[in-house]
Amino acid sequence: MAGAVAGIPPDGMLLAVLADEDTITGFLLAGVGNVDLRKKRNYLVVDSKTPVRQIESSFKEFCARDDIAVILISQQVAGQIRNVIQQHNKPIPAVLEIPSKDCPYDPAQDTLLTRVKHIAGFN
Amino acid sequence: MYGFEMMSFNIKDGFLESIVRGHRSGLLTVADYNNLSQCETLDDIKLNLTSTDYGAYLVNEASPIYTATIVEKCTQKLVNDWNYMRTQADEKLATFMDYCTYGHMIDNVVLIVTGTLHERDVQELLDKCHPLGMFDSIATLAVAQNMRELFRLVLVDTPLAPYFSENLTHEDLDEMNIEIMRNTLYKAYLDDFAAYCQSLGGATAEIMGDMLAFETDRRALNITLNSIGTELTREDRKKLYSNFGLLYPHGHNELAMAEDFDQIRSAMEKVPAYSGIFSKLGYGESQMLDKLLYEEEVKKCVDCFEQQFHYGVFYAYMKLREQEIRNVMWVSECVAQDQKGRIADGIVYLF
Amino acid sequence: MSTARYTVAPTVTMLTMMKARLVGATKGHALLKKKADALTMRFRQLLKEIIEAKENLGATMKGSFFAYTEAQYAAGEGIKHTIMDNVDTAVVKVRGALDNVAGVKIPRFSSFVIPGETKMDLTGLGRGGQQLQSCRKAYQSAVELLVQLANLQTAFLTLDEALKVTNRRVNALENVVKPKLENTISYIKAELDELEREEFFRLKKVQKNKQKNQAKAEAEFATAMAELQEATADTLDMPPFDPKMPGQNVQPPASSSLLNYKEDDMLF
Repeated sequence: MAGAVAGIPPDGMLLAVLADEDTITGFLLAGVGNVDLRKKRNYLVVDSKTPVRQIESSFKEFCARDDIAVILISQQVAGQIRNVIQQHNKPIPAVLEIPSKDCPYDPAQDTLLTRVKHIAGFN
Repeated sequence: MYGFEMMSFNIKDGFLESIVRGHRSGLLTVADYNNLSQCETLDDIKLNLTSTDYGAYLVNEASPIYTATIVEKCTQKLVNDWNYMRTQADEKLATFMDYCTYGHMIDNVVLIVTGTLHERDVQELLDKCHPLGMFDSIATLAVAQNMRELFRLVLVDTPLAPYFSENLTHEDLDEMNIEIMRNTLYKAYLDDFAAYCQSLGGATAEIMGDMLAFETDRRALNITLNSIGTELTREDRKKLYSNFGLLYPHGHNELAMAEDFDQIRSAMEKVPAYSGIFSKLGYGESQMLDKLLYEEEVKKCVDCFEQQFHYGVFYAYMKLREQEIRNVMWVSECVAQDQKGRIADGIVYLF
Repeated sequence: MSTARYTVAPTVTMLTMMKARLVGATKGHALLKKKADALTMRFRQLLKEIIEAKENLGATMKGSFFAYTEAQYAAGEGIKHTIMDNVDTAVVKVRGALDNVAGVKIPRFSSFVIPGETKMDLTGLGRGGQQLQSCRKAYQSAVELLVQLANLQTAFLTLDEALKVTNRRVNALENVVKPKLENTISYIKAELDELEREEFFRLKKVQKNKQKNQAKAEAEFATAMAELQEATADTLDMPPFDPKMPGQNVQPPASSSLLNYKEDDMLF
């Protein structure tokens, strides 16, 4: 834990995004996107043709990268790799489920939120 | 030949004019938009659209349907109409219709060029291109490794070649911001298109002159508005303005100097045609401007159907269809995102 | 509960040692309990914030998505490809710092925008640029909110973990270590008392034995004396009580036995 914190580079860490094209475009417009020298991107556009395997491997890759602090993942995509997300229990990178443009945010599906509500004692 | 078109126009272009007027009557009306606005889901929208000209294109789409699909299918309808007319067209009209699509072609070229520079997959890029802006050699654009090569090998054979060669040097190709390049090309295109329309003469020259003047002035306005506070210098800004239009040349000088919205406003208001648009805006609001400009464009396009025997109707039809697709997209997005209160903000009624 | 205790030799030294350990454990327990309370307080607060933020998220994102729709309306469908291709280096980044809650280090992120010109500035120059910029702002504020949420979430996970560990320690101290120490102490005390009682009993017993032996010796002496007196009376025919008689000084039986007794007492 402490080691991961100490590993935060002083010039800031990145956000990673896994979502549909429109959602990602917005974040890219905001300036979240990053393409490094090896043409590695910090986002993955997921459409209906993207295989689950690829989403999983990207997610794991983002988790393993030490310059990523937050992973934003749209709920739709998160639903496809729910088990992988549940396995991830490190505080960094923080995995955040965000709504996607085509389907509104459903708090009931959020892994973390259900846990929080369970602990807080109201459902 | 002004005034004598009616003697010879129908020999070659009468059929297509009747076709395009037929298509025009297929455009969505206020009643259609009202129906669309009542929809609760995208499927409802699809259902409503199936009773219009778009029916054949949407009827086979499976649920759940997305806005992107609706837009794509509607665009497909325009493209099919357009290609049908294009293949039937006589030489002069065909050239005119090609000119109409050069705008999309510029966008496509820019898209492929930037995509290639970022090492994207060519097929993926081609899928993203606007179908109206396709040309035969577009796929070969991707073979080029740098801009210079790109120009020498590919662009020189496209209709856009003169725009490149006349306005951009090799050095520009290598280091210019892609947006500036896009707008430089667009400027050259509009100049060329206007010149072509004038050479056609008659009602076409008159009507298209008016429409293109509006188009170019709108671009000048947008460029000015969007370049405030950016790296774009006044001289560079001025280079992007076309050499015609109601603002040319004095308005352009003022726009080039403008540093905020009110200065732009005072420059624009000197032209009587635009002072009406700006009088609808409160001071300091620039957000509504786009919609007002779209409305003005639609009005011009609709008026253009009032006259017969000219090519402007084709251009107008394309513009109206595109506006309609934008409207449909807006309504669909509003419905999909549960923002139905905003529907009225985006629709520009065509009739 | 458990009767478990440490296996120690029941000695006084051990007792003091155990007592010291118990004091330590009690103090540690009190401190940990305080820490756990502090963490729980923060934790509860967090839970509330997370739920609020998550529910806010829906609304904020909706606003951002709509801003994007507006941009798309103004700038055309193709704008997304332009945006996608204009990606270079990130200008929105996350800075990390450490928060300290009762000794638990919690990473705290804050997003920041690297100032300066970006390629995106000129996007949509021809049309829709303004909407694109407002969309950009909307998304930047969304990112800010998301990073806040990420903060809360990380804090939640870290605190959850820390709370578990602390509670485990508190419980271990309360339910295992302290009873065990107390058991050991009472065991040692009991053992020591037992030893003391045994010793006392043993001494009593010794005393008793000694008294018994004494009585026996006195009785024997008395009989011996009586026999002697009988014998002398038979042979010499002396008057029985005459202290001035020199023969009486030779054998003073009573006084000598008393002296013996006193000597025994001195031994104690």
